[in-house]
Amino acid sequence: MKALVAAAGLLVSSAAGAVDFDATQTRRILGHGAWPPAQMQTQTADRTNRYSGNVDAIRLGAMLFGEPRLSGNGALSCQTCHRPEHGWSEPKARSEGLQRQDRNAPGLLNVRLQRWFGWDGANDSLWAAGIRPIVKDTEMGGSAAATAKLLREDAPLACLARRVEPAYAAMDDEAALVLAAKALAAFQETLSSPRTAFDEFRDALAANDRAGMARYPEAAQRGLALFTGRGQCGACHTGANFSNGEFHDTGLVFFLNDPDRKPGTPRRVDPGRHDGIAQLKAAANPFNLLGRYNDDPGGVASIPVRHVVQQHRNWGEFKVPSLRSLPATAPYMHDGSKATLRDVILHYSELDEDRLHSDGEAILKPLKLSEAEIADLQAFLESLSAPDDTAARYESLRREAAQCR
Amino acid sequence: MIRRTLLAFALLTAALPTQAQQAPADVLPLIDAHLHYSHDAWDYLPTAEAIAILRKSNLRKVLVSSSSDDGTQKLYEAAPDLIVPELRPYRRRGELSSWMRDDSIITHLEARLAKYRYVGIGEFHLYGADADLPVPKRMVALAKQHKLFLHAHSDAEAVRRLFVHDPDAIVLWAHSGFDRPDAVRDMLKRYPNLWADLAFRSDHASDGKVDAEWRKLFEEFPDRFMVGTDTFTPERWHYIEEHAKWSRAWLASLPRPLAEKIAYKNAEALFARTSYKVDR
Repeated sequence: MKALVAAAGLLVSSAAGAVDFDATQTRRILGHGAWPPAQMQTQTADRTNRYSGNVDAIRLGAMLFGEPRLSGNGALSCQTCHRPEHGWSEPKARSEGLQRQDRNAPGLLNVRLQRWFGWDGANDSLWAAGIRPIVKDTEMGGSAAATAKLLREDAPLACLARRVEPAYAAMDDEAALVLAAKALAAFQETLSSPRTAFDEFRDALAANDRAGMARYPEAAQRGLALFTGRGQCGACHTGANFSNGEFHDTGLVFFLNDPDRKPGTPRRVDPGRHDGIAQLKAAANPFNLLGRYNDDPGGVASIPVRHVVQQHRNWGEFKVPSLRSLPATAPYMHDGSKATLRDVILHYSELDEDRLHSDGEAILKPLKLSEAEIADLQAFLESLSAPDDTAARYESLRREAAQCR
Repeated sequence: MIRRTLLAFALLTAALPTQAQQAPADVLPLIDAHLHYSHDAWDYLPTAEAIAILRKSNLRKVLVSSSSDDGTQKLYEAAPDLIVPELRPYRRRGELSSWMRDDSIITHLEARLAKYRYVGIGEFHLYGADADLPVPKRMVALAKQHKLFLHAHSDAEAVRRLFVHDPDAIVLWAHSGFDRPDAVRDMLKRYPNLWADLAFRSDHASDGKVDAEWRKLFEEFPDRFMVGTDTFTPERWHYIEEHAKWSRAWLASLPRPLAEKIAYKNAEALFARTSYKVDR
C-alpha cells in the first residue's frame, strides 16, 4: 500500500484501489481550495462600493434584482435572465431582453470573486456591470431618470434607499442609478455556492484523512486525475473558484449563430474581450474604476483598468468561467452553444488546433478522450456542485425588504 | 450633462460591437502582408464579402496564402488589382506540423508553381533543425529557381538554416519570430535579405504609440518591416478593418517617410525583388 506523504512528493493513493495522484497533481488539487475562500468567509467588503456588506443595501439590491420597473417596458428585471433556480443563469442559449442578446447569461454564484465582469470583461466592478443591462436599449432599456424616480416614489424602495444613503433624494439621476447598481452589487456579493464533495475530498487530502478521501466517488477521482494531469485544465481553471478570471480563445467558433440573419447579409462575429476592453476604457464610460463613482479612488482595484490594453489576441477571447455549480447553469460557453457538460468536454477532446494560433493558446491540445474518460471528467465536474440555498435566501431578503416603511 | 453622459454611454455600448467607422479618404496607404483565406472561410465568408472587407479597409494590396491554395486563387480571380498570391506548402488545414516530412508536398508545390503566378512560398511553419529536412530544403531550391521569397513562421534557428541552404534567399520572417526587439535586430543585421512582418503581435505599439525599443529598431531598419493581420480563423477577417485602423494609428506617430515604408513601401519593395509582376 502506498504511503500518503504529499509533502514528500511521493505518489499519493487517495483510497485503496482508487486513483494515484503524483506530487504535482496533489499540489494542484490542494490549490483548488479551501472553500469557501477567506474572502468569502469574512465577507471582505468591495472598497470601490461604499455600500458593500451593508445589510440595507443588500435588501435594496434584492428588491431591485426582481424589479421590472427598472426596464423600459416594465416587464424585464435582472431576474428575467439570471434565474435563481438555474444558478442565476437561464436555460436559453442566448438571453432575450428587449432584443435577442449575443451571449448566454452568466451565472452569478461567487460573482464577487471575479476581477472582470461579463463574458467580455467590459466592466471592472460588479456594480458597474449592473448598470450596462439596465440602460442598454437592447437589454432592459431603462434609464437613470426612471431608476431615480422609482427609488424616490416606491415606498419600500425609498425607505431602503434612505437607510442606505440618507441624502439620496438629493442625488442627481446618474448618481441614483449608481446607488441602485451598488445595492444590486451588494446583494449579488451574497450569492455563494456551498461546499461540495470535491471540497470534502480536497480537505481530507490536505489533512491526510484516508477515510474522508475514500468517500469521494472513484469516477470523480479519475476525472480529477485527468483534470489535474493530462488535461491541464487547471492552467486556466485555477484556484478555489476554478477560474483565473482572464480571457482565452478556446477554438470555439465565434460567428454568431443568428437565425434572424437575412440570406446574403454578412455574418456577425462576437469580438469578445477585444470589444470589452474598448468599452471599459472608452472616454465616454464614467463607470469604470478610474471614474468618479469609485469609492476607493487610487486603490488597488483600479490598477487593472489603468494597465489593460487591447491586443490582437483579444479578438474572440471570452472569460474563463468558474466550474462550480455548473449543472444548473446549462447551456454552456459564452453563446450557450454547448447544451451539456458532455458537449463541453467533447469540444476539448476534439479540439480543432488549426483554429488556435500556433503562438497563442499553446497549452490547448485535443485530449482525445475515451468514452470512459469523458464520463469520469463529467463526474468530477458534477462533484463541484451541491444544492444551494441562495434562491430561498433571496426570497427571504425580498420579504424583509418589502416591510421597510 | 448627466443625460448626455448616459446617452453617450448607451450609444457606446450599443455601437461598439459593430463594424469600425468608415475611414476618411486621405488615409495612409496600407499593404496587409499576412492574410489567409482557407477552406473553412469560404462558406462563412464568400469571396465577394471577403473582397468587400479588404476594400472597406482601404488596403492597397494584400499578401494572401491559403490552405488550400484554391482560396488564394478565388480571391485573386475576383480582385487581381488587390491580391498578391503566395503559395503555402499545405493542401488543407491540418498540415501545419506535418508538411516538412511529407514528400508529396514538393509535388504539390511544383504543380501549383507551374500553373499559377506567386510572389513567394509560405506562410509555412518551421522550427529549428526541421529546416534541414529534405522537403524544406527542396522548397528553398524551388523558391530560388522561381525567384520567390520565403514567408517563414519560424524561430531564428530555422531562419538561419534557410539562409544556409540558400545564402541569397529572400525571407519574410512572419511575426518577426515573436522574438524580442534585440533578437530581431541581430537577425536583420546578419541577413540583409531578411524582412520582417509584425502580424499578430501587439508589443510594438499600443494606444497609437510605438514602444521605444521597437521605434529604435524601426529607425535602424526602416526598409525591412511591414504589417499584417493574420486571418488564421474565418472570424478574423472581420478584424482586418480594425487592424488597419490600429496600424494606421501607431504609424501616425512615426515620421511620415518611415510610416509609409512600414505601411506599404517595404512590401512593394519586397514584391519587386521577386519574379512576380504586381497587377496594377
